[in-house]
Amino acid sequence: MTAETAVTTPARNGLLPRLRLAPWLYLAPTLAVLFVWIYLPLFQAVQLSFTQWNMLPTATPRPVGWENYRNLLALPELRQAAWNTLWYVLGLLPLSVLVPLAVAILTQDLGGPLRNLYRALIFIPMIVPPIVAAVLWRWLLNEDYGLVNRIITALGADPVSFFQNPDIALWTMVWITGWKLMGFATLLLSAANGTIDPGYVEAARMDGATRWQIVRDIRLPLLSPTILLLTMMTILFGAQWSFVYINAITDGGPLGSTTNVFFLMWKYGFQTFSAGWSATAGVMTFVMFGLIALALLTLSRKLAFHDN
Amino acid sequence: MTTKPALSGLATHAVMVLLALVAVVPVYWMVATALRPETELFSTTLWPTRPSLEHFAYVLEVIPMLRMLWNTLLMAAATALAQIATALFAAYALTQWRFRGSNLVHSLIALSWLVPFQVTMIPNYVLATKLGLLNSLTGLVLPNAAAAFAVLVLYNAMKSFPKQVIEAARMDGAGHWRILWQVVVPNLRAALASLSVLAFISAWNEYFWPLLLIRKIDNAVVQIGLQMFMSQEGNQWGALMAAATLASLPVLAIYLVLHRQVIESFMKSGIK
Repeated sequence: MTAETAVTTPARNGLLPRLRLAPWLYLAPTLAVLFVWIYLPLFQAVQLSFTQWNMLPTATPRPVGWENYRNLLALPELRQAAWNTLWYVLGLLPLSVLVPLAVAILTQDLGGPLRNLYRALIFIPMIVPPIVAAVLWRWLLNEDYGLVNRIITALGADPVSFFQNPDIALWTMVWITGWKLMGFATLLLSAANGTIDPGYVEAARMDGATRWQIVRDIRLPLLSPTILLLTMMTILFGAQWSFVYINAITDGGPLGSTTNVFFLMWKYGFQTFSAGWSATAGVMTFVMFGLIALALLTLSRKLAFHDN
Repeated sequence: MTTKPALSGLATHAVMVLLALVAVVPVYWMVATALRPETELFSTTLWPTRPSLEHFAYVLEVIPMLRMLWNTLLMAAATALAQIATALFAAYALTQWRFRGSNLVHSLIALSWLVPFQVTMIPNYVLATKLGLLNSLTGLVLPNAAAAFAVLVLYNAMKSFPKQVIEAARMDGAGHWRILWQVVVPNLRAALASLSVLAFISAWNEYFWPLLLIRKIDNAVVQIGLQMFMSQEGNQWGALMAAATLASLPVLAIYLVLHRQVIESFMKSGIK
């Protein structure tokens, strides 16, 4: 039927398809929004990255060539933020992929009325507003009165400075970000696991495959598209998701230990008002993540196993 | 033979209970703290022994909470409506016409969500200032009036829509506008409903753009109100928990009624 539309057009108007106005009218609202608020600003950000500007409307951006790039690349602060970004992603992967995968496989036989209750409960963190998650974890992990430290001291250990200790703060941020995702990822993997044809598992069992062999040789390959999707999401967006918690709880500290590149852009832009630096960090981040996205897409085409 | 499944069944439940507790206890503790009277704030009893609404009363008195909830409701509803309208048109164009550039348009839409908001924030902020959109709900809605994921979800839904039905309508002389509203939309009701729930919740939870745009608490959405309240009241835990509870109440209420549909729609359209 699609072919028919394609065929009738040239038949009516000669060989070349007429430039049609109608589809563009229907696309106009979406394209206008994307152009004005995403693609044009992206282009302007690239321009800004070659200037120096304090964001005052009265001042005009002064062109500085590649200076921002040279300065930023030499800056320890940026290097720290880049490493932290990596730690955020690596720290999130167990929470957004490994634990959910293990839970999905362990609980695959779960049925009955309780199943829906569990599903409904573990999904809750996903819909809680991020700033609410920030506020409530700030309370739960409070050094003096927080529930977690109350339990830790009751067990006889010293209270933990979850937000003030530079060695721990980043992992606290990772935990809060992961807490929101864990249930969602589990449900996604359980759903994928549920669609696996029981015939495969049955056949393998008849051939004497052990439980672990069934997981390794049947379930994991068939789950690989979902695993890859979650991994890609975490790598590309994990550090962005933690922005709320960094901004609301630690403000990038202590000693910059929770600052990732996304928070650094915000800091340069709206705390120290150096628009050029913020844009430069933004462009570098965008290019880096764009390359990573490209590599991941190529990789996933090669790796993902599809049950055809 | 009988003990092994029973044992693994028990382990299964143990895993799920543990995960459910990790998910729910923090949220429960927020509500419980909010309901404790100031004198028992640091108590660790499982539930408030003498529940009190004093923190809620305090919050309603010192910040315009109801007004912010109303602002957020308006903003989230308008954003969801706009996203659905723009996505309907775009998905219809991409599925019903073959035209030059349609592949490019499809990729431009799909790739738009790879651009991190932090990269475009300064030009966006400058533009919003020029247009006089600071501190306005319109300014919050406009950049989010179209969303890639909404277009892609509806694109997939329309692609699997039987072409014969549309052809039949065209034979009857119906134009595209009429086909869209009278044939396609009524048949996509389920997809549209789940998409609007998802768009509403995402808009309700939106944080970054309001953080840039909203500076006055009277015009604030509840996320920013909560952020401002936190920086002012710092460690007034009872009041903070009451404010946080109020800020999440509407989404939790939606979830209570529609949890199955909410979970479905989140799973169908990925994370963002």
